[in-house]
Amino acid sequence: MFEWSEEQLAIRDAVRRFVDEEIRPKLDDLEHGDLPPYDVLRKLYATFGLDQLARDSFKRQLERKTSGAEPPARAGRGEGSNAAMALIPVIEMCKVTPGMVTALGVSTGLAAGTIMKRGTPAQMERWGLDLLTLDKIGSWAITEPNSGSDALGGMRTTAKRDGDAYILNGNKTYITNGPYADTVVLYAKLDDGSDTDIRHRQVLTFVLDRGLEGFEQSAPFRKMGQHSSPTGELFLTDVVVGRDRLLGETEKESGGGGRASAKDNFVSERAGTAAMALGVIEECLALSIAYAKDRVLWGKPIGEFQLIQLKLANMEVARLNVENLVFRHIEMSAAGRSLSLAEASAMKLYAAQAASAVAMDAVQLFGGNGYMAEYRVEQLARDAKVFQIYAGTDEIQVTHIAKDLLSR
Amino acid sequence: MFPMNVVVCVKQIPDPAAPQSLEPGTHTLARSGKLIMDDSDAYGVEMALQLADAAGGGEVTLVSMAPGGETSGLRTALAMGAAKAILISDDALKGSDALGTAKVLAAAIKRAEPDLIIAATESSDGYTGTTPVQVAELLGLPSVTFAKSVTVDGQTVKVERQTESGFDEVTSPLPALVTVTAGVVEPRYPSFKGIMAAKSKPVDTLTVADLGLDASTVGAAGAGQEITDVAEAESRSSGEIVVDEGDGAARIVAFLETLKVI
Repeated sequence: MFEWSEEQLAIRDAVRRFVDEEIRPKLDDLEHGDLPPYDVLRKLYATFGLDQLARDSFKRQLERKTSGAEPPARAGRGEGSNAAMALIPVIEMCKVTPGMVTALGVSTGLAAGTIMKRGTPAQMERWGLDLLTLDKIGSWAITEPNSGSDALGGMRTTAKRDGDAYILNGNKTYITNGPYADTVVLYAKLDDGSDTDIRHRQVLTFVLDRGLEGFEQSAPFRKMGQHSSPTGELFLTDVVVGRDRLLGETEKESGGGGRASAKDNFVSERAGTAAMALGVIEECLALSIAYAKDRVLWGKPIGEFQLIQLKLANMEVARLNVENLVFRHIEMSAAGRSLSLAEASAMKLYAAQAASAVAMDAVQLFGGNGYMAEYRVEQLARDAKVFQIYAGTDEIQVTHIAKDLLSR
Repeated sequence: MFPMNVVVCVKQIPDPAAPQSLEPGTHTLARSGKLIMDDSDAYGVEMALQLADAAGGGEVTLVSMAPGGETSGLRTALAMGAAKAILISDDALKGSDALGTAKVLAAAIKRAEPDLIIAATESSDGYTGTTPVQVAELLGLPSVTFAKSVTVDGQTVKVERQTESGFDEVTSPLPALVTVTAGVVEPRYPSFKGIMAAKSKPVDTLTVADLGLDASTVGAAGAGQEITDVAEAESRSSGEIVVDEGDGAARIVAFLETLKVI
C-alpha cells in the first residue's frame, strides 16, 4: 500500500466534513473552556455507525470468549476491524484536536480493550459493551505520583485480601478521562500479608465504577496541551471490591496476569500514537505551505527563502516516513500480523519525535504569528509534545527497542 | 403504505475546491479529472431516502451523465443509502447543452419507472437551472420546482414551493418531478459501513445507443447552443482611500448615503 484506496479516501472525506462541521466550531470550548469531549465523540460514533460496528464486534468477541476460541492476533480493537478504518479518523481528528483522540483511545482502546481481552464473559457484558459504544467513558489507571516509566515496579496502590473481597488503597495520577470516567480499569499490587518486597508483588487488575465508596475522582488538571483530553487523579481509600471486579475473577496468572495485561496494550497504543503524529505532521505541513506562499517579506513570499524551504523539506521527509510506517502497520494488520514490541516502539519513537519537531518548526516558520493561538500551530506543537511522553516516553521506547535487539 | 421508487438526478462535477480550467476548443469546463457529487444534489438524495423510508418500501435509484465512466460522485450517494445507479457515459455526449442532457436523463429515468423524480434546482457548475423541467417535459410529467418541503401521501406529492415572499403549497399527482432547494433536508453523513458497501452496489453504465437515442440529437452534434468565446471577468477596481483631513467622518457618511445604506 502506498496510498489510500477510494473507499478509504471516502471515509477520510466524511470524517473531514464532520471535523469541519462538528468539532472546529466547538474547538475553543474544548481546548480552553472545559467542554468535555464525550458528547462530540458520541455524535461521531452515531453519525458514522461506529456504535453499531462496536456492538457487532462485541458480539463476536463475546462469542469467541464463551466458546474458548483463540483470541485475535491483534488486541484492543477487536476481530475483523479494519486498521485503516480505525486510523483514518485518528489522523483526521488529530489535525485539529489530538486531545479528543487521546480521550477516545483511552476509553475504547485501553479501558475497553483490557476488559475485552482479560475479562470473563460476565465482565465483558457488564462493562465492555458500554465502553466500546461510548455509552460510558473509561479510564485506564496505572501511573502513580512516584511511578511513571517504572509503573509496575514502583506501583504502591495495594489490594489487600479481605475474605473473598479486596480492600484497595492508593492513588493514581495523570489518568486520561479520570475526572469523568464511569468505568476505571485499575492496577494494584496484591497485599497477601507476606513480606515480599512490594516491587515484586503480583499485580492485579480491577474494574471500578464511578461512585464506589472511598473512590474519588479529581477535577481536570491544567496542563501544557491536549486540553480536549481531561486528565486527573484518582484516590482510593479503603475501597471494598468483590471478586466480580477482579478482571478474570481469579488471581491465577494465566496469560501473564496483571503485568502482562498492562503490556498487552503497548503495541496497539504505540501504533495508534504514530497515526496521531501523522495527523499533526500533515496539518502542520499543509498550514506551513499555505503560509509560506502567502506571507510576503522583503517583497516576496517567504517560501522563496531557502531557510524556509529547508523547514518545509524536513517536514515532508517526516510526513513520508511516518506515513510509510502507518501504511506498514495497516498492511501487516491486514495480513493478520502484529508489530513486534520493538517495531511498535521504534515506530512510536520516530513518529513522536518527528511530530514534535515538525510542529515546533511550523511555529518557527510562522514567526510571531506562530506563537498566536489564531494560527493553530502553537496548539499542535503543545499537543504533539506529549507523544514523546505518554504511552511510554522516548527513553522507554529506546530501552524496549534495545532490549529486543540485544536479545536476538 | 405504497412502496416508493425514487430517481434522483445526480451531477458529478469537478471539485469546486480544486483549480478549474476550460477546454481550449469548446470553452466548456474541463471534466477530465476525478469528479465529485454536486453538493446541491446531496439534498435530493437525502430527501429521496427519507421518502422511501417513510413509504415503508421501495428504493432510490441515481441517474447521472458523466464522461469517462466516472462513478466517484455516485459512490458518495450510494454510500448515503441509494440502492443503485444508472450512469450514461459516451464520448458522443461531449458538448451537450441542457436540452441534450435532459434527453439523455429522461431516456434513462424512463427505464427506472419511478414514482417520483428529484433533482436540484440547478447544478453548481453549469447553473442553467433548466435541465430538470426539460426532463419532466420530455417525460410528459408534471414538475414542481424550488421545493423546501416534500411529502408524499398515497399517489400525491405535496410540496412547499419557496417563493420570494414565503412559499406556495402545491399538490401534484405522481409520478412527478420535483426540484429541491438546499433547505429541504439536512443530508446525512455516509456511515463507514455504507461507504464500504457502496463499492459493490450496482451501477448500470449505458451508452447513447443503449438508450435508443439518435446520436445526432445529443452532445455537441445536437446542441442548440455553442460557446463562441470566453473572456476574463473584469477585475474589481480598487477601493477609494479616504484620508482623514478633518472631514473623514463626513465623507464616509456621504459615501454611505450614495449607497443608500443610511
